[in-house]
Amino acid sequence: MKKPMNKTALTVLAGTLALVALPLKAETLRLMTWGGYAPDNVVEMFEKETGIKVKVTKSNNEGMISKLRATRGAGFDLVQPSQDRIVSAQADFNIYKPIDLSQIDTTQMVGSMLEATKKSTTHEGKVYGVPHVWGTSGLVVNRDMASNVRDYTDLCGADVAGKVSYRLKRPTLIGFAFAMGEDPFAAYGDKEKYSRIMDKVEKKLISCKANVKTYWSGGDALINLVRSGEVHAAMAWDAGGWKINNENKSVTFVAPRSGALGWIDTFALPRKTKNEAAAYKWINFVMQPKVAAMITESAGNFTASKGADNYVNDTLKAQYQESFPSADVDNIKWYPPVPAGLEEIEGKVLDRVKSAG
Amino acid sequence: MTTSSPIDLIDLECRQIRKTFDRYFTAVDDVSFSIPRGSFFSILGPSGCGKTTLLRMLAGFEQPTSGEIFIKGKSVTRTPPNKRPVNMVFQHLALFPTMTVAENIAYGLRRRRVGKSEIADRVKSVLKRVGLPDSGYKKIDQLSGGQKQRIAIARCLVLNPDVLLLDEPLGALDLKLREHMKVELKQLQEEFGTTFVYITHDQSEALVMSDQVAVMNNGVFEQQGAPRDLYYQPQTAFVAGFVGESNRWLGKVTSTNHAGIELMTDSGLKLSGQFGAEQSLVVGDRVEVFVRPEAISLSRGGGDSKGQNRLRCDVGNVLFDGAKSQVLVVDPVTDGEITVSLPQTADFASLIRGEPLALAWTAEQTRCFRAEG
Amino acid sequence: MRTSGGFRLGLMLLLSPMLLWLLLLIILPHINMGIISLSERVSSNNYVFSLNNYEEFFAESLYWNTFLRTALMSILATILTLLIAFPVSYYIAKMLKGRSKGLVFALCLIPFWVSELVRTYGWMILLRESGVFSNFLQWLGLADGPVEFLYNDIAIMVGLVYTSMLFMVVPLVTTLDSLDNSYIEAGYDLGGNGFTVMREIVIPHATPGIVSGCIVVFMLTLGNYLTPALLGGKDSLWFTEQIFTQFITRFNWEQGSAFGILLLVLSSLIVWLGLKVTRQSFTRVMS
Repeated sequence: MKKPMNKTALTVLAGTLALVALPLKAETLRLMTWGGYAPDNVVEMFEKETGIKVKVTKSNNEGMISKLRATRGAGFDLVQPSQDRIVSAQADFNIYKPIDLSQIDTTQMVGSMLEATKKSTTHEGKVYGVPHVWGTSGLVVNRDMASNVRDYTDLCGADVAGKVSYRLKRPTLIGFAFAMGEDPFAAYGDKEKYSRIMDKVEKKLISCKANVKTYWSGGDALINLVRSGEVHAAMAWDAGGWKINNENKSVTFVAPRSGALGWIDTFALPRKTKNEAAAYKWINFVMQPKVAAMITESAGNFTASKGADNYVNDTLKAQYQESFPSADVDNIKWYPPVPAGLEEIEGKVLDRVKSAG
Repeated sequence: MTTSSPIDLIDLECRQIRKTFDRYFTAVDDVSFSIPRGSFFSILGPSGCGKTTLLRMLAGFEQPTSGEIFIKGKSVTRTPPNKRPVNMVFQHLALFPTMTVAENIAYGLRRRRVGKSEIADRVKSVLKRVGLPDSGYKKIDQLSGGQKQRIAIARCLVLNPDVLLLDEPLGALDLKLREHMKVELKQLQEEFGTTFVYITHDQSEALVMSDQVAVMNNGVFEQQGAPRDLYYQPQTAFVAGFVGESNRWLGKVTSTNHAGIELMTDSGLKLSGQFGAEQSLVVGDRVEVFVRPEAISLSRGGGDSKGQNRLRCDVGNVLFDGAKSQVLVVDPVTDGEITVSLPQTADFASLIRGEPLALAWTAEQTRCFRAEG
Repeated sequence: MRTSGGFRLGLMLLLSPMLLWLLLLIILPHINMGIISLSERVSSNNYVFSLNNYEEFFAESLYWNTFLRTALMSILATILTLLIAFPVSYYIAKMLKGRSKGLVFALCLIPFWVSELVRTYGWMILLRESGVFSNFLQWLGLADGPVEFLYNDIAIMVGLVYTSMLFMVVPLVTTLDSLDNSYIEAGYDLGGNGFTVMREIVIPHATPGIVSGCIVVFMLTLGNYLTPALLGGKDSLWFTEQIFTQFITRFNWEQGSAFGILLLVLSSLIVWLGLKVTRQSFTRVMS
């Protein structure tokens, strides 16, 4: 009885250990990105052209930073954080690798957007990001029910009480700050001033809390709330508003009077990327105008690809033009890089808003 | 058999109780009986005969499909179990393992809202009476099998029930303890004077302890009476076969006369026998024949012995079991085996295989019953 | 039984995958978390030893209020789960027989074949303003307009109890099944009624099952993240959400680790207190 038992135990143990790591052979690109940024048809085209398999992981800014932080920059070959979130994360956690711009066909990119991104993602003299998709956040409004909502602070009006939703995240704080006549971006370098602005926003959000049906946390949840008519006005992304507009013409994205908040999602290389060459291939591939248009179709947002607009369908173009009369485009407030320490102030404000009432 | 006690001395009476399950299966089929106060009444039967169902109806766990149950002259047919003046000792005793011995016994008293000090007194006294005066603080799993038995009975008797029901409580004990507990149960019953209704499939338990025994088969009482009557005057083939040991033959009536019948067994033995008063047998009837091993007298070397039935046989096996030793003899004519009790005399101490023996027994001890079919 | 060196070695080898699992996935991460929780970020890549993260928990009323709220809601959810699960389990274990018993037990298990997320979304479909309940009430004429059932503490409670049901029913059915019917019958036979039999016989017997079920449900509820976040809406303060926020949104691993350790310690303390109050021992309950 004794001997066979030992053997069995050893076999079990050996088996367990053997299963732990089986190396993958085929060349792959492990991409961590946002939903819609790597649609199946684009991935398929890329795989056919290059023979590189693409493994897509969907995430968001916080998720990307947290995951890379946990692995000290390993596990993925290419990631797509927003341009304002790169420098502070790099300074704190050292998770990215500088981009070799010579590997990228920058002629495919809108020049001004490339320059802006390069500038805001430069840390210690090195560039860490190039632009991919851009968009804005503002208001998604059901014009039949909440025609008065033109700015973030209008969400606190009595006429939309109980029919309002927004996220309890930093874009809301920034948006309300602008709507209340402050310029939080100008205060980025001055912690004390920024704190004062945030205190003001906190008071506003707490007094506004009764108006809120729920704080949404995922894009799909918000779309459901608006689509079902449970929410008449919300702070959200432009693409979400246009998506609902396809089904319900009275709902659309509205650029707030104080200015929509503009963001650019970039391409950045994790520090321990294993397939840098494939990452550059992917960037150059998706920035081709035709491919970029496909991504716009799937994500709902426009890209930094030069000339891609020509391939985008007319509905989206029309929706875009309706939401952004030319004056509003100039009024977009682009997020500058977030200096360290601000997120802590914002975090406390968000905590207090959440627990108030 | 009917008892002639006056009605106020009857503790338990059942009138035509019937229990049908699922409309097809009749577990208890119109059973009627009455039990006089203070007696030990056993219901004996093989498993599946309906005795457990009958007992559960008496306790109130099952409702009779029809019929009435009376305790001390009052109908309790519709009384729920917790309101009946009967208590039950379960097959596996069902002593509550989460309570101590004293708490177990006090459980019923607390349900009756007896005062605390009175409960303590009564628990103490009943423990004394069952011979376990210092066990109150013990946990149930610290008791031996026999002690558990006594506590289970004490737990019921402390409530002074009119009738105590016992569901084969000795079944789980080993043989030695079981023999001992038989005597003890009988003594406890006499000491407390409570009416016991005891069900068992073990005929020895029923015969040793009971004043009255009812033999149950297929949902009916085959015969009811004192143990001695059941043993010596079985009225049905089932009782004759079930109670005590018997040699059994099947045969055919060859002639009848005023004293009894002559018959021929299927194996070819010619026997004289008697039959009960209720049956009338005629020539050609199929009969079942029972003869008890101790009814047969043996003689060695062709000596003389009394009895209408005489056989010459050879010794087969000797089954030595002390006072209960038996000898299996082989009838050379039919090659059939007959079991005979071995007399405890020096004469038979040295039987050897193949030795010729003379067997004899009387016609009265050859009990015949009409065979089914 | 004779235990020789060879037998013991075999046992150790058989246990080694589990011990490895414990060490690699439970003990080491917790030690690491403990170490992280004791450091404080001064500036980029510059950390010093500090108890600040723990002080923060007690100093900032929001944090311990959230913990207190989470613990109280979890205790309430545990009690409610027990109150609902006990009759259900009793019915399954004692009233039903044979096939119907297996069937009803399986019915209790079926909701757990889908993920917690799907189950929670199911509740959202039922409870939301444009949802099934609201429409049904309007159809019955009991409500004039849409009624919102979602986004409040009651919705959280409903979701938590529903999610926890199985973990209470299984240990309860197991212990109640092991209670021989003759004990219950004896309880009645000796004069008890339904209430006293339940209190004196069934519940004492089922106590280990009740306590182990309660511990599991309490721990699961306390550590639940999805249900409070999705059903609770704007006031849903849940401690695990706070930990998640610290780790993922704020990148404040130090604070998140401290919260994680505190959750572990405080919840263990509550379980320990619960065992003391019910006079149960952990080994007995879990065996």
